[in-house]
Amino acid sequence: MRRSIQFRLNGEAVSAQVAPHETLVEVLQDAFGLFGARESCGQGLCGCCTVVVNGRAVSGCLYLASFAEGGEVSTIEAGSRLDAVQEAFIECGSLQCGFCTPGFILMTRQLLEEHPEPDDDTIRHYLSGNLCRCAAYPQIIEAVKLAARKMRQT
Amino acid sequence: MPFELAEPRSLREAIASLDAKDPSVRPISGGTALMLMMKAGVLRPSRLVSLGKLGLAGIRTGPGGELRVGAMTSLRTIEKSEIVRKGWPVIARTLRTLANVRVRNVATVGGHLAHADPHMDLPPVLSALGARVTIAGAAGERSIPVEELGTGYLETSIRLDELITLLEVPPLGGRSAAYLKCTTRSADDWPAVGVAVSLDFQGDSIREASVVIGAATDKPTRLAAVERILVGRKLDENLLDEAATQELSVEGDLHGSAAYKKQLIRVYLRRAIHEARAQSR
Ligand SMILES: Cc1cc2nc3c(=O)[nH]c(=O)nc-3n(C[C@H](O)[C@H](O)[C@H](O)COP(=O)(O)OP(=O)(O)OC[C@H]3O[C@@H](n4cnc5c(N)ncnc54)[C@H](O)[C@@H]3O)c2cc1C
Ligand code: FES
Ligand code: FES
Repeated sequence: MRRSIQFRLNGEAVSAQVAPHETLVEVLQDAFGLFGARESCGQGLCGCCTVVVNGRAVSGCLYLASFAEGGEVSTIEAGSRLDAVQEAFIECGSLQCGFCTPGFILMTRQLLEEHPEPDDDTIRHYLSGNLCRCAAYPQIIEAVKLAARKMRQT
Repeated sequence: MPFELAEPRSLREAIASLDAKDPSVRPISGGTALMLMMKAGVLRPSRLVSLGKLGLAGIRTGPGGELRVGAMTSLRTIEKSEIVRKGWPVIARTLRTLANVRVRNVATVGGHLAHADPHMDLPPVLSALGARVTIAGAAGERSIPVEELGTGYLETSIRLDELITLLEVPPLGGRSAAYLKCTTRSADDWPAVGVAVSLDFQGDSIREASVVIGAATDKPTRLAAVERILVGRKLDENLLDEAATQELSVEGDLHGSAAYKKQLIRVYLRRAIHEARAQSR
């Protein structure tokens, strides 16, 4: 019962054969070889599978791939240069194993779009759905604030 | 898990794709709850009917000043809506600690209300506010109070071939409303108890009271004895403590034992009333 769906992936028009039950992370990995969004909890809690669909972050593990039809999908692989958020995460040492990092970066971009000058509470609250098993939380919060400063300067 | 995904373009077509007798045919809105149930193996659908292409999203106010929210409106859109923030701030505040941003981006209010997990945050709030839902089926539409939706754990009075299409919340008017969510892990966890109050203060006394508790029993429950104690006289907190749990056979779960939840209800009920009173000034 596979069918073809069309959408834009990181700025390019693409199509994929998807089964009705397949999630967006499964299709990104199996059909496009993109592994930046990866399934960890599988329950919407940890954010490792974060994908941006039509400008809004979703948990790719709970999102039917079919729902992306006709939409604009963007992953951590988008773009060829590091942005301010990625630079800040590197400069602040905000990762150890890096498994959670794509999700944190995509969520931080959304956070800063909504709150260009976030305080600690806002950051913690917005990122409460992202878990880091290496517990790099203090450095992550630093990185969000550094990224905010970088973005204000440019 | 093989199933068929139907994507009807009209409400009539959607209702026709449902099946009055077959519980393995289900509507899907955001899918956040359905995906979890499928992953856990508690739901094996034969067909999911997507409501995404029916034009059921949107927020506006109606002729009587009521809030009208289409069933497919995401929880995040409701949280951010200026109309909701100004007119029904308790709803926007409740949404802030409901799950996380990604879930709220995708979850819809129709799916939220149809899911009927007794731990959900909006049903007690909307019940306390006197909200109603419109339910559409082959025979036409009916409107029922949100309070009458839940009939038990994950069970509702919506028939298998019916859909929620609209949520309507009356204007707050002189009422002030509060919802307190007590979580025992992180702030945005599922609640151990949720206490929703809507109170119409007249000076120090209360003219009208609506009190609904979530997460304590198999569905949101109105505390009618508490409402009677609150209305028409000065607040007596000792009377309140006793009444707070007498009507409920509280059930323990992952988030707390029954005894613990009873104590939480006593404490959080007082706090919710105080919060509503503070707002009324
Ligand atoms: C990680 C996580 C954390 C969560 N934490 C909380 C929390 O703290 N508090 C809380 O309240 N909730 C919480 N939730 C639950 C969340 O609110 C629900 O999953 C969500 O609201 C369901 O909406 P949906 O559109 O995704 O529904 P779906 O998954 O699409 O549907 C849910 C159910 O409703 C039926 N249905 C859907 N739409 C309709 C309709 N229009 N008419 C009739 N039936 C319909 C479906 O058949 C299904 O049975 C959490 C969920 C997740 C994944
Ligand atoms: S894997 Fe999707 S949120 Fe954890
Ligand atoms: S860096 Fe290892 S999980 Fe976050």
